[in-house]
Amino acid sequence: MTTAAPLVALVGNPNAGKSSLFNALTGARQKIANYPGVTVERKSGRASFADGRPIELVDLPGSYSLTPASLDEVVTRDVVLGQQMGDRRPDALIIVVDAGNLDQHLCFALELIGQGLPVVIALNMIDMALRDGLELDAAALAAELGVPVVPTVAVRKRGLADLVAALDEALRSAARGSGVAGDADQFTLHQRARTLARAATLRETPVRRWTHAIDRVVLHPVLGFTILLTLLFVMFQAVYAWATPFADALEGGIAALQALVVGALPDGFLRGLIVEGLLGGVGSVVVFLPQIVILFLFILLLEASGYMTRAAFLMDGLMAKVGLSGRGFIPLLSSFACAIPGIMATRAIPDAQDRLTTILVAPLMTCSARLPVYALIIGAFIPAQTVGGTPIGLQGLILFGLYLFGIIGALAVALVLRRTVTRGNTAGMMMELPRYQMPRAGDVLLGLWQRAWAFLRRAGTIILATTVVLWLLLTYPKAPEGSGISQVEYSVAGRIASGLEVVVAPIGFNHDIALALIPAMAAREVAVAALATANAVEAGDDDAVAAALGDTLAGKWSLATALAFLAWFVFAPQCISTIAVTRRETNGWKWPLFMVGYLFALAYAAAGITYWTAVALGLG
Amino acid sequence: METSLDRLPLGRAARIIAIDWDALDVAEGRRLRELGLLDGVELTALHRGGLFWRDPLAVAIGRMRIAIRARHAAAIRVVAVDPVAAE
Repeated sequence: MTTAAPLVALVGNPNAGKSSLFNALTGARQKIANYPGVTVERKSGRASFADGRPIELVDLPGSYSLTPASLDEVVTRDVVLGQQMGDRRPDALIIVVDAGNLDQHLCFALELIGQGLPVVIALNMIDMALRDGLELDAAALAAELGVPVVPTVAVRKRGLADLVAALDEALRSAARGSGVAGDADQFTLHQRARTLARAATLRETPVRRWTHAIDRVVLHPVLGFTILLTLLFVMFQAVYAWATPFADALEGGIAALQALVVGALPDGFLRGLIVEGLLGGVGSVVVFLPQIVILFLFILLLEASGYMTRAAFLMDGLMAKVGLSGRGFIPLLSSFACAIPGIMATRAIPDAQDRLTTILVAPLMTCSARLPVYALIIGAFIPAQTVGGTPIGLQGLILFGLYLFGIIGALAVALVLRRTVTRGNTAGMMMELPRYQMPRAGDVLLGLWQRAWAFLRRAGTIILATTVVLWLLLTYPKAPEGSGISQVEYSVAGRIASGLEVVVAPIGFNHDIALALIPAMAAREVAVAALATANAVEAGDDDAVAAALGDTLAGKWSLATALAFLAWFVFAPQCISTIAVTRRETNGWKWPLFMVGYLFALAYAAAGITYWTAVALGLG
Repeated sequence: METSLDRLPLGRAARIIAIDWDALDVAEGRRLRELGLLDGVELTALHRGGLFWRDPLAVAIGRMRIAIRARHAAAIRVVAVDPVAAE
């Protein structure tokens, strides 16, 4: 043995509590990267033995067997067999099984033990099994399998020390357990698993009472749908209502910083760059952090509680109608946060055409980057009142409508695509409906932190760079003193926007918008920063510090223009990262180009129709 | 009572007597087997996805619940077992 830390892979069925165990073992010391050549996430982290020696842990995607049905599962197989490019074969496996579902999870475990690597079994969620009336004998199971079996409760960090000790022991020992050879069929595996599970069970009551009772309500054809829609509705209302105080505080903080810089520096290039370019641009995007955190909080809670698969179940019938599957619901719902993880999550969809269609419509789901744009425009143009005496806010209702508009658009596009360019078999859906459980605060917080950090990193890099470049383009060349020509019109950006304006003027877009559309290609939320920067340059920095961007726009744009702008953002493919990830996931330029083309066409049409209708109704 | 799984009344327990593997493609068949849908296994039909369509179908096998499409369920022949055991 070398002195390098042993590489240990966590492997098991989906819903075995693998990720919680990984979090519990590694804490926040995690590294997220991609496997080379594919876009499957490689999560690794450090744990340590009792005496402090390090362990290198990798968390493999959940699988049902070593015969892969999706890209994720290919990685799991390749790592276990030592065929994964860029990774050495693990020195040992920690097989995670759900104690309450041994009949099922022992099948994969048997196959894994048969691979001949040192193995420890984590008999996870043992507390839940007990709650469901299942009493197990870990020692008996260990004796039957010939490998150590350690009861664990990952979410309460119970059994972890024993697990690590058993792993240490297994790495030293030559014993390899009695699994089932690689070519065994599922029938043999299931029979053996059932026999083993029975032998290890001391006492059993037949049903999962809690899950059974909840599913009766949640999967009810009428009640279930009502609950799902209510949940989504509350989620979007909360994004607005809860975030406001935090967003206001952030806004105040940024304005104070700007005032500080204005006071400390003489008027000139540097002050302009910092106040308008840096603080004005990046600040106007960072303000949306509270809303993004709240949205992710809901998504993470739904995922961790087990409800997300129920949502997929309820949506499958509807999604089947447009040629998608309930499996696509989770990637599409994730796309509400960001299309990039959403598109990456489509790897779990086994059917190729189903997957491609899901990727192509994912950008129609309203991602969090559009939220700043929506929030700004809605805040500026829609009065903060309730609807007809009900406690429902009009602003939240419009926001809900925009999300709904995106969803309907996605379903319609999917329907058309499945009958034309991505024709093929109707996709199947087979999945496990896991047991409900209380989400663990630590896991949710870690997930929130990872998402928030990704957003802030983007704000600090792409958004920072584009706002500064835009500020330069807006500031130079300087309009001649006393000529009466507006600085924005005279600048380089103003001239480019004037060219673009010719194209977008028919759909009601003004010069401001034409200007904002250019940098918004980098990331949608930059549109807000661009509007802020442009209006700050026009106003001169002192005024801009005082005047809120929303009020400025409300004074300049017509309602019809504002609505058209919102409609544009429902469809516009304005994010280079999404296009890049689509290219990577579809292995070529054909599909991303197709996606960009159809989305621009739809955006133009939607904005146009909205504008013309609004003008006809006298809102112009 | 012998029927296909997609026609089994909800709440009713049944035993699988035959699966028409030819009606399923290779990957679908394998996933069904991995989920434990095999000859001789007992299951209970639990929920359907919607009022207006038959998809998908949730069934309980042992201590696990899985969702499958009606098309898959149609390929599975079952015989109902003692209705008292169903609840």
